[in-house]
Amino acid sequence: MPIRETFWNIPHWAEIAQYLVGLLTILIFSYGVIRRVRRWLQGRPQRRIDRIGSRLWSVVVQAVGQARTLQDIYPGIMHLTIFWGMIALLIGTILATVDWDVAHLLFNVQFLTSWVYVSYELILDIFGVFLLIGLGMAIYRRYIIRPDRLANMPGIGFKRDDAYVLIMLGLIGITGYLVEGLRIAVAQPDWAPWSPVGNAIGNAFIAFGDPSNRFLHYALWIIHILIAFVALASIPYTKFWHLIAGPVNIFFRSLEPAGKMSAPTSEEEPGVKEWRDFSWKQLLDFESCTRCGRCQDVCPAHASGFSLSPRDIMIKLDTFIWQPTNGRNMLGDTISADELWACTSCQACVDICPVFNDQLSSIIDMRRYLVLEGDIDPQLQDALANLGRYGNSFGKSERMRAKWTKPIQPKIKDARRDEVEYLWFVGDYASYHTSMTDKTLMMAKVFQSAGLDFGILYDGERNSGNDVRRVGEEGLFDMLAEKNLVTFSKSTFKTIVTSDPHSFNTLKNEYSENGNDHYSVLHYSQLFDQMITSGQLNVARKLGYKVTYHDPCYLGRYNGEYDAPRRVMSALGCELVEMPRNKENTFCCGAGGGRIWMEDPPEVAERPAEMRVKEAASLSGVSILVVACPKDLVMFQDAVKTADLEGKLVVKDLIELIVEATEMNLSETEEQN
Amino acid sequence: MNIVVLAKLVPDLVEELEIDDSGIALDMTWLRLIINELDDHAIEEAILLKERTGANVTVLAPDIEGVDDILFTAAAKGADRLIKIVGDYESGVNNLGLARVLTPVIKDLQPDLILAGVEAHEDLDGSIGPLLAGYLDLPFIGYVASIELEEGKATATKEYPGGLSAEMEVALPVVLGIQVADEPPRYVAVSKVRQAMKTAEIEELEAGDFDLSGGPTIDRMYQPEVGESATIIDGSLDDIADSLIGIFKELGVQ
Ligand SMILES: Cc1cc2nc3c(=O)[nH]c(=O)nc-3n(C[C@H](O)[C@H](O)[C@H](O)COP(=O)(O)OP(=O)(O)OC[C@H]3O[C@@H](n4cnc5c(N)ncnc54)[C@H](O)[C@@H]3O)c2cc1C
Ligand code: SF4
Ligand code: SF4
Repeated sequence: MPIRETFWNIPHWAEIAQYLVGLLTILIFSYGVIRRVRRWLQGRPQRRIDRIGSRLWSVVVQAVGQARTLQDIYPGIMHLTIFWGMIALLIGTILATVDWDVAHLLFNVQFLTSWVYVSYELILDIFGVFLLIGLGMAIYRRYIIRPDRLANMPGIGFKRDDAYVLIMLGLIGITGYLVEGLRIAVAQPDWAPWSPVGNAIGNAFIAFGDPSNRFLHYALWIIHILIAFVALASIPYTKFWHLIAGPVNIFFRSLEPAGKMSAPTSEEEPGVKEWRDFSWKQLLDFESCTRCGRCQDVCPAHASGFSLSPRDIMIKLDTFIWQPTNGRNMLGDTISADELWACTSCQACVDICPVFNDQLSSIIDMRRYLVLEGDIDPQLQDALANLGRYGNSFGKSERMRAKWTKPIQPKIKDARRDEVEYLWFVGDYASYHTSMTDKTLMMAKVFQSAGLDFGILYDGERNSGNDVRRVGEEGLFDMLAEKNLVTFSKSTFKTIVTSDPHSFNTLKNEYSENGNDHYSVLHYSQLFDQMITSGQLNVARKLGYKVTYHDPCYLGRYNGEYDAPRRVMSALGCELVEMPRNKENTFCCGAGGGRIWMEDPPEVAERPAEMRVKEAASLSGVSILVVACPKDLVMFQDAVKTADLEGKLVVKDLIELIVEATEMNLSETEEQN
Repeated sequence: MNIVVLAKLVPDLVEELEIDDSGIALDMTWLRLIINELDDHAIEEAILLKERTGANVTVLAPDIEGVDDILFTAAAKGADRLIKIVGDYESGVNNLGLARVLTPVIKDLQPDLILAGVEAHEDLDGSIGPLLAGYLDLPFIGYVASIELEEGKATATKEYPGGLSAEMEVALPVVLGIQVADEPPRYVAVSKVRQAMKTAEIEELEAGDFDLSGGPTIDRMYQPEVGESATIIDGSLDDIADSLIGIFKELGVQ
C-alpha cells in the first residue's frame, strides 16, 4: 500500500536536529515579528476593527484569492503561481510532519496512505511545477523585460532583497524535487508515477549514476531543510515579510467610502512631521509594500515627470524608519515638499495596490504638516487665502458668485427663501470661470425648460472644500463645510445636484460626517440620466456624434459612477469610443488635490491633461472629448491648445450635448417666457 | 528687543466702491475690510526679525470690525502681544488723529523698533509712519524692504525710484515704513488661527476723543471720471487689439 515514510534515509539524529533548528527558526522569526509589531504600535491610534466579517472576507478574496493582484495579467499569474505553489508545498510539508511526527509517533496511525497519499504526491508535484513556472516568469520579467516600474529604486539593497526571494524559493523548489527524485531512484516504489517530476528526476539518476547513492540524498535533504529554515527565519527581515504584512494590511484596510478622507489622527498636532506621527496602519502600509511599482505606473504625476512616485514614497518611508537616519529629516530630506505637492489625489495608486496600501492618506497627512508650516506654493497660498476670505479660489466677491444668472428669465429661485426640490450647488468653476459660465447658463436653461423645481444659494454658497481638504488645509475645509451646512440648514430642498464631481464627492461623503444626512446628492449626469429615462427631458434630435468620454476621478474612481454619463450620451445618440484608459483605469486630468491652484515645475515634460487629450485624439474617427466636470473642461481646453490639437479635437461638456439634442425644447420655453 | 507693529483694516477692493449720500465718504454698508497689504508685510517682517533675534512682537490696531481676525492671525504667526485701540471710528478718523492717540500708547510700550506699512490706499493725510515719528521724536525711514538688527542699531534697506536701493544704518528706536517684507507674508492655517483665538488675548485700550486737526477736509469724493482726452475702445478683444494697432501705426509707433 502506498504510504509516506517521511524521514526515509534520514538518521534519527538529523531528524531531531531538524526540530532544534526549527525551534531556532521560530525564535528568530518571532523576534523579527515582535520587532515589527512594536514599531507599528509607536504610530498614532486608528480604529480599524469594525466589520470583522467584511475584513476577513477581503483577506480571503484579496490575499488568498489574489483578486487585485490578478488584474494585471502577467505579473498576476506569475505571483499567483509562486504564491500558491509555495503555499501548497508548505501545507504539504506541514501535513507530512503531522502525519509522521504527530499521528504516527504519538498514535501510531498515518493518514497519508493509499489514494490520499498518491493524490498528495501528485498535487504537490504539480504545485511545485507552478512554483517553478512562476519563478521563471518572475526572472524573465525582472531581469530581461525590466519594466520601468521595477527600476530606479530609491536606495540600495533592494535588488539583493528581490533576488534573495527568487533564489530562495527557486532553491527550495529544486532541492525538493532532487530529494524526491533520489528517494524514488533508490526506493523505486510502485506508486512513483504519481510523482511525475520526482519520478522523471529519479529515472535520470538511474540512467546517469548510481541509484543507490544514499549519501547524496541525505546531503541534499539537509541542504533543502536548511534553505527552507533560513527562508522562514528571514521572513520578518526581508521582502518575504509581505507574506504576513500584506494579508494583515488587507485585513486592516479602510472600509470607508474612498471619497471620505480620514480626519487628522491628532487634533492638537494635525499632520505628520515625524514617522511616529503616522498612524500604526500607515506604518503597516510602508512595510507591506512589495515594491511592485503598480502604483507608480498609474500615477499621473509620475508620468508627467514630477518627482513623485507613490511607490517611492512607501519605500522611502519604510527605509527611513528602519535604517539609521544619519541626522536626515523625514520631511525635507527623505520626502521632499515637491513630491508631496505633485499629487493630484486621483486615487489611482490606492485602487491598484495589491496589498491595499493607502499612499494618498500618507501624502495628505504630510501635506497637512506643510500647510501648518506655511510651506506652500505662492499660488496655492493665494487660492487658500481667497477661499478663506471669499469662499472661492478666484478671489472674487461672493456677491459676484451668481452674476452669471443675470440674463436668466425667470429668475432662478433662491433656495434660502423658497422651498425647492433640487438645490443646485453650482461650484466655483461653474460660477466664476469665464470659460464655464456659458455652460452654467445652459444647465440653468435645460433645468428650466424641463420644468425642474430647483434653486441655488446665490451669494450663500461657498466652495465645498473637497480640494481644500486634499491640499491638507483641514481647518479651512471645516470652516467652508460649516458655512455651507449652516446655509443648507436654512434652506428647504430634497436633493443636491452639482456638475462638479469634486463638490459631489465631498457633499456626498464628507458633509454627512457633520450630521447632515437629510438630503441626497446627485451628479448632473445622474440627474439627466433620470430625467431622460422618465421622459422629463425630451431628446429631440439624435446627435450621431462619435465621441469619447473622460471619467472624472471624483465621479468614477471615487464614487463608482461610470454608467450614468454613458447612458446619457447614448440616449443623445452619441456613439462612444472608449479611450484605452477608461472607467476604473481613468487617467487624471491633473487638476485634483489642489494642483489646479499650483504652478507646474519646469521638469514637467507633458502635463497629465496633455497626455489625456492626445489619448483621446488618437482614437480613429473621434473628434469630440466629452467631459462631465468643470475643471476637466478648463484643463482639457487648455491642453488641446498646448498639445496643438486645435481643429482635431473639441472638448465638450455633457451639458453642451444635451442642449444640442434638446434644441427644440429650449426654443419652446424661451417663447413661452 | 521690543518691536511694535501697526496694522489697520482698509476697504477690500474686490468689492465695488460706492460713495455714500453725503458725497464725501465711501458707503460702508457693502464694504468689506481687509488688512492693509503693507501692514501684513510689516507684521511678517516683525515675525522674521523675531525668528532671527528672539524679539518680542506687539501688534497694535484700531478697533474696527474684523480687527480680532487680523490680530489672531498675527498671533498665529507668532506675535506675542495683541492690542486694539477702542474708540469711535464711525465718523472717520484720519492718520493725524490716530497718530496722536497712538503716541502715548507706543511710548508706554518702550519699543526699540516700530514698523508700519509704508502707506495704505485710504491714507488721505499722509502715511502714519512719518506722523508717528514726528510725535515720538524718532527717526523715520520709508519704503524699507529689508531690516538687519544689531545691538542698539538697525540697518534698513530702502528702495528708491528707478530701481535704486540704499542701506542705511540708524540708531534705535526708529520708525520704519515697510514697503515689502524679506519674504512674502506666510500662510497661516485656519486651525492655527482658531487655536490662537482660544489661547491668545487681545488687550483693549481706550482711544478717548480723536483730535483730527490739521488734516485735509474732503469737499467731494467721486469715481474716476473719463477725461476728454481719453478714448475708451469698445468691442471684442480682437476688435480692440485691431483698433489699437491702427492707432499705434497712425502715431508712427514702430
Ligand atoms: C506704494 C508705493 C509704490 C511706489 N512705487 C514706485 C514705483 O513704481 N516706481 C518708483 O520709482 N518709485 C515708487 N515708489 C517710491 C516713491 O515714489 C519714492 O520712493 C518716494 O517718493 C521717495 O521719497 P521719500 O518719501 O522716502 O522721501 P525723501 O526721499 O526723503 O524725499 C522727500 C521729499 O523731500 C525732498 N528732499 C529730500 N531731501 C531734500 C533736500 N536735502 N533738499 C530739498 N529737498 C529734499 C525730496 O526731493 C522729496 O520731494 C513707490 C512708493 C510707494 C509708497
Ligand atoms: S493619488 Fe494619484 S497623483 Fe497622487 S500619488 Fe496616487 S496616483 Fe499619484
Ligand atoms: S504601494 Fe502597493 S502598488 Fe505601490 S509599489 Fe508598494 S505594493 Fe506596489
